[in-house]
Amino acid sequence: MKLEFILFGFGILFSLAGVGYLAAEYVKYLSEGGKLVSLLLTVGMFGFLGKYFEGLGW
Amino acid sequence: MRRNLFLYLTLACFFGLIAIFIVDGYMGIYDTIYMTAGEREQKIEPDSWLQQEKFGARGIGVNWGEKVFFRYEVDNRQFSSYTADIEVSVWHSQEKVRDLLSQPISIAAFVKGQLEWEIDAAELLPSDISPERSYEFTVIIKRGEIERKIIVYIIPSAYPPKPVPAPPR
Repeated sequence: MKLEFILFGFGILFSLAGVGYLAAEYVKYLSEGGKLVSLLLTVGMFGFLGKYFEGLGW
Repeated sequence: MRRNLFLYLTLACFFGLIAIFIVDGYMGIYDTIYMTAGEREQKIEPDSWLQQEKFGARGIGVNWGEKVFFRYEVDNRQFSSYTADIEVSVWHSQEKVRDLLSQPISIAAFVKGQLEWEIDAAELLPSDISPERSYEFTVIIKRGEIERKIIVYIIPSAYPPKPVPAPPR
């Protein structure tokens, strides 16, 4: 169980680092529509992740 | 089952986000300009063109009598080849001073193409202007419907060159 949480932690860190890198590189070239959809997806991503961890009992 | 659904939705949002970054943020045509005056090189990156709409055209200063070297790089990040007519001209006070370049460019998919030209500031200045006066002109680069503007500022020389006396015969 502990190992699972560590792996989840690494997964989250890598995901955030990946999105952060892409955002830093390419967000300046996004169109207005692209920025809006990206924002909605980011909110959705963290929202669903929160619900997932809530289901795990965190 | 419901718990896994949230995990799948999280992953769907994550991959959707990456897909938008790639399709909307990476793919497309991006142009960069490198300008060299004297020993200084300036780079105008593609995102600068978006700022140009808000803050005005970027510029470069050149000393009186020096040349400015331009390298215009077009990055085709598309799955198809890109073709456009590139026109470069010099303007001052909304009037065209000179055409510098006019040629088509064809770039294969995911390849960069580039054009080079130079501006001799001395040739473009009016004959009646003295070296202690500053002067500006605008270089307009047209790539199809897209227009990029760069202001070239001629830095006046602090001490006008003294006429060299003719050698005695």
